[in-house]
Amino acid sequence: MTQQIEIGRLLQAGTTGFVAGCRVNQLDAPMFGALVRAPLSDNYQVYGLIHEIHIDDDGLVRQLVTSNNVSDDVMRDNRENRIVPVEMSVLAVGYEQDGKVHHLLPPRPPLSLDVIYLCDEKDLVRFTSAGRFGYFRHILGAQEIPIGEALAAHLSQAEKAHGKGGGIWKEQAIAELISLLRDDYPTLMSVLGALGEAI
Amino acid sequence: MPIDYQQIFTQIKEIGKGAKERRKKKEEAQAFARELLAVYDSQLDLLRSKVDSAKQADSNIRCALPINENLASSHPIPASVTQATLIAADGSQINPDRHAAIQFCVVNVGAIQMKINSGETPEIFTDTELLYGDDLLPNGFPLSDGLVALKRDLAERTKLEILSKGLKGSVVTFTDGPIELWGAKGEDASSYEAYVQKYLGVLSRLQTNGVITAGYVDKPSADLVVRLLEIASADSEQIKKIREFHPLRSVSDRWLFGGQKNPLLPPGHRSAVFGIQSTSEKKYTGVLSLHFFYLNVGAEGHPWPVRVEIPKWVADDKTKLDLLHGVLVGQCRMMGSKPYPYLLHRAHETAVVKNEEKQQIEQLLAMELRNQDEEMDDMSNKSSAKGLKGRTRR
Repeated sequence: MTQQIEIGRLLQAGTTGFVAGCRVNQLDAPMFGALVRAPLSDNYQVYGLIHEIHIDDDGLVRQLVTSNNVSDDVMRDNRENRIVPVEMSVLAVGYEQDGKVHHLLPPRPPLSLDVIYLCDEKDLVRFTSAGRFGYFRHILGAQEIPIGEALAAHLSQAEKAHGKGGGIWKEQAIAELISLLRDDYPTLMSVLGALGEAI
Repeated sequence: MPIDYQQIFTQIKEIGKGAKERRKKKEEAQAFARELLAVYDSQLDLLRSKVDSAKQADSNIRCALPINENLASSHPIPASVTQATLIAADGSQINPDRHAAIQFCVVNVGAIQMKINSGETPEIFTDTELLYGDDLLPNGFPLSDGLVALKRDLAERTKLEILSKGLKGSVVTFTDGPIELWGAKGEDASSYEAYVQKYLGVLSRLQTNGVITAGYVDKPSADLVVRLLEIASADSEQIKKIREFHPLRSVSDRWLFGGQKNPLLPPGHRSAVFGIQSTSEKKYTGVLSLHFFYLNVGAEGHPWPVRVEIPKWVADDKTKLDLLHGVLVGQCRMMGSKPYPYLLHRAHETAVVKNEEKQQIEQLLAMELRNQDEEMDDMSNKSSAKGLKGRTRR
């Protein structure tokens, strides 16, 4: 059985996305563009794509940055003791019910404090292979996220997860993106530009 | 309209009119204070005898007492501290509220321990004590706000003692505010006395364990050195009426040691160590007797003098004094443009009890009492009326 990597807990949620929080010392695992899942029951879980990782400041941190004397002890105290969560904004891209992956918005969102896990390569392959890239709709339709950058990060991670078949999968994904964006030239150029950087 | 701004405006204008006169008086007094400081700088024996005379005239006299460093001396920051364990504690409280439905009190102490350059994450500690029923009537008197504050101060210093016990190497402990316990003397004398005796016991154990302890007073308002200069300038007739003799009333110790223009203490420097002449000398005796120095924790062009209270055993030991001096300057510099010891701020963050937490404790207590069929009182009508939503003002 593969080890589940917990990356945080749910702070707030809606149908189209949710925000998870973790402590600064948990920040090794989550990455921009990573696929995450929030299991709500044995046979239902919501999938999402991290599109923003945000660290809020507070009064003390603002004051400390004006100092030239921030010691390692103070850094550790602030990162490990002080309750300033790292917030990850996640775009809902699908769900799984009774073992079947759907690239549709989830029927109900995860609840406060639900644990959010990072999808391992097996999960990533299973989610991205289901259907015909239906979840791209959600990414391309999200106005508030950096679409090109998020797609480039996601495609690069998914290609790696697909192993030998990664190249073919990526080609199909790019073809699908071109098809979906054929009437939106500026977004297409922005997506292809970002993908070009990632290759 | 809760405030009559017309009246306020007129009064503000009156205040403004007197500014020129006040400034002139203040500058004259400041010049006189500087002059006195220069004249009496090294006359420590004379100053001590003058304080003795003043004490004869007014046993409650409160001022600085020179020890062995010249009045205007300034001592640079010692070598930077590379190894020591620092512990800071701070407390907060929920005072009993006779208008509330349930009478209770909470004393919460937060502490943080940091081992400098150890690679270890600082440790945080919290002690919370809930007082209810007979606890709120020590010696039959209702627990006053002053006694709760004493209880909190005792709990802070006790926490420092507990945490420092058994630690190897140099240990520096500090709290916010003076070391001397304040308040409640007139309300419940026997309770006050009991707290003071326990507190002195804690200080003694800290001394036995070789632990450095201090009280950090930010923006101090007690003008102990200025009062000493006033006593120094008084002739024999004026000494007899020393309580009314205040030629330097508009001068402060903060200005004397860290005025914006020409501060006596450069950044990081401490003043001479002084004793505290006050009625508390009868309680804080021997190695526990109270001393202090001023410390400029500010930067070039932005002096910020604070008062640091220490017991005699720290004042007498140059190594301990230097370590404390270095630690406090280092701690303050961590906070950038608003110097204040980092660990004290963190202890405060840990200790502070928010209003929501107060309400939660109240609810939990009410639930338990109801479950046990204990009779519950109501909130006072006054308190209830104050809680009513006001009319929104445009």
